[in-house]
Amino acid sequence: MPEVLVVDDSKVMRDMVVACLRPYPGLTFTHASSGLEAIERLSLQPYDLLVLDLNMPDIGGIEVVEFVRGQDRLRNLPIIIVTTRGDEASRARALAVGANRFMTKPFTPDAILGEARALLEEKRG
Amino acid sequence: MTGSVDLADFLPAYLAEAEELLGAAHRHLLAVEASVRRGLAHPRAVRELFRALHTIKGLSAMVDVEPIVSIAHWMETSLRLADRAGGRLPEASVEPLMEGLREIEGRVRQLAAGKQAAPVPAGLLERLEALETAASGTGPTKPASAALDLDAALSSRLSTAEREQLTAGAASGKRAVRLDFVPSAERAASGITINSVRERVAKLAETVKVLPLSGPAAGGSSLTFALLLLTDAGDDALLEAAGGPPGSVRSLASAPAAPAPARAPSEPELEAVASRVDDEPEEQRRGGGTLRVEVSRLDEAMERLAALVVNRSRLTRAVAALTAAGAPTRELTAILQENGRQLRDMRAAIIRLRMVKVADVLERLPLLVRGLRRSTGKQVRLELEVGDAELDKAVADRLLPALVHLVRNAVDHALESPEERLAAGKPEEGVVRLITHGAASGLLELCVIDDGRGVDARAVAARAGVPIPTTQDALLEVLCRPGFSTRDAADATSGRGMGMDIVRRITVDQLGGELRLETKPGAGTTFRLRVPLTITLLDALVFECAGLRYAVAVGSVEELIDVDPAKLVRPAGASGVVLVERRGSAVPVLSLERLLGREGPDGRNGAGVKALIVRQRGEPVAFAVDRLLGQQEIVLRTLEDPLVRVPGVAGATDLGDGQPTLVLDLAALGAARSGNSRRRESVPGRERAT
Repeated sequence: MPEVLVVDDSKVMRDMVVACLRPYPGLTFTHASSGLEAIERLSLQPYDLLVLDLNMPDIGGIEVVEFVRGQDRLRNLPIIIVTTRGDEASRARALAVGANRFMTKPFTPDAILGEARALLEEKRG
Repeated sequence: MTGSVDLADFLPAYLAEAEELLGAAHRHLLAVEASVRRGLAHPRAVRELFRALHTIKGLSAMVDVEPIVSIAHWMETSLRLADRAGGRLPEASVEPLMEGLREIEGRVRQLAAGKQAAPVPAGLLERLEALETAASGTGPTKPASAALDLDAALSSRLSTAEREQLTAGAASGKRAVRLDFVPSAERAASGITINSVRERVAKLAETVKVLPLSGPAAGGSSLTFALLLLTDAGDDALLEAAGGPPGSVRSLASAPAAPAPARAPSEPELEAVASRVDDEPEEQRRGGGTLRVEVSRLDEAMERLAALVVNRSRLTRAVAALTAAGAPTRELTAILQENGRQLRDMRAAIIRLRMVKVADVLERLPLLVRGLRRSTGKQVRLELEVGDAELDKAVADRLLPALVHLVRNAVDHALESPEERLAAGKPEEGVVRLITHGAASGLLELCVIDDGRGVDARAVAARAGVPIPTTQDALLEVLCRPGFSTRDAADATSGRGMGMDIVRRITVDQLGGELRLETKPGAGTTFRLRVPLTITLLDALVFECAGLRYAVAVGSVEELIDVDPAKLVRPAGASGVVLVERRGSAVPVLSLERLLGREGPDGRNGAGVKALIVRQRGEPVAFAVDRLLGQQEIVLRTLEDPLVRVPGVAGATDLGDGQPTLVLDLAALGAARSGNSRRRESVPGRERAT
């Protein structure tokens, strides 16, 4: 059962992401409301996909990606950034530190589901 | 496979979260404004305000509410510049940002009412865009002079604003410390997580930054969270908050490098707002670990419970009939008792679900006072001391307009102008305080206190065309006359404006509570409101009077006494007054029969067998009734129709036999009647509130 960690400080946004990904068969979801909570969860159990907001309290999504890519164990974890910051600089920075996909809010349900499917299937090989 | 989700389905959840975020945004902006007025930066509040708007913008984009996206975007832009300027915001920026929040709020309300969000009002975006220039003109703050002992790896991960926050905190006498928390699966299983540690630490310290550090950590872990804090707490307390060893505490600054600066004039109202920004655990603010439920669903649970309660009454009656007929009902009775306990537990659980924090209900009051400060030109400070008090959502929703009225009146009418205050030997700044006390079982007391001019009974009497009231209760009675206003004629001397009848209608008639007044000319006024914590399910005494059955909330009855008609005293010269002796003091007896207009031809006055003692304006009063039928849990149905709503009748209930029974509010009934004592009492239901 692929495990997805959905990280956003907005509960409604997490629920939206989960609703969008739900059609993919067999996914289970864990929520984290901050970057710190996400890092703690990632250090304690394996996940198959990380869906991550950029702007969060304490530490932002970029710092989470940097942390993840600094860990051998997490080096291949697929990461989708979903953010309201649609500027090119943010996109370039997120991809440079190791995010796999960068999606700007508003995104459509099909778009995020398509990205998630591609990454999960790529990971499965 | 394609996604079949429609994001428009999230509109109700979006509206609820947007309301919550707007509440937070208002708090943060008020905190920023307080700092601006003192010439200080408030980096954390600026960042939090930015984040609230950023989240609103993202959510609004997802549910396609373009006007809110635009307003939030331009507010964000000016705040980003303020953040880069170390949390400094030009004073001129506050008002347009307030305006932006109001406009977003207006559109959220439109959506909640099923309407389209209106387009962005003309000129607003330009005003917000213009802030960019103003904000960019401000330079960064000067670094404070305390030295920090931070290793390079940590230091490089702090923003300028965060480093300044640490150094300035240390320079002002706080301890700057690094607290390490090492997470583990075992700790997570027992509830010790970065979130719970953050919450516990927030009670002891100001969290400047939390940094995750990877690499071998104490206890075999590969992750450590370094919490950089400003605190007065001791190491042991901090370490305990982080779950104890393998965590650790170390100091980041040896001693303040500069003397603590003189404290700026205190502004408790806005301080309180500011400290909420800094101290409240993030999880609490964002409702993490909690479930948001629509009120209608809670109402539905309550309805189902109500049906069970009514059914149980029928069952009790049926079992009693069986017992009377000689059937063996011992086990049935035991089951019934257990069922009663379970229903009571369930009632308590549902009521707890419906409770909201009074502090959350009142979060808009600082904003109200801010507006009044501007519109009246008066200097005023609002102090909220409401602690952790909670109220049923239904009570809170009804009560809020009354409190808004009292606070508005206090600022508008009770507080003097700065010049008058100085001339009277008072500080220029007036104070309005709202405090709560838990009162007797099931009641909450709220006081709205001002240090203004006090109510001038003479001016009030002149305005109302009545004799000068000699007691505070009589004065309140005049102030609460419908439509009574001191605004135009005697504003400067009376100290009260219009609308007190609304406050009384809400507090006394709708909520079955109590409203009292204490005022001292020149020194100020206190309005004391006592309201029930919940108004839907309550324990009631059921009794009979003049052949009809009534119920009354147990919580409102102080004592139940037997009445010996032979020992009633009718003082000579006081026509119709009957007294009963209770523990050495005489208590006036009111005949319920008479109050209810059901007086029999024999005209017995106060000659019931039992009497219920109730506090009416602080004084005990006895209500004579014919027969007590027992105590039971009832579901109160309020009488919403204004034509049938009468003072003294809190609502109706079904005791299980299908017959509606009136639930009385004795204190209000007696007060309403004594206010009209010269008139012939009529049957409740035919009389309108006066």
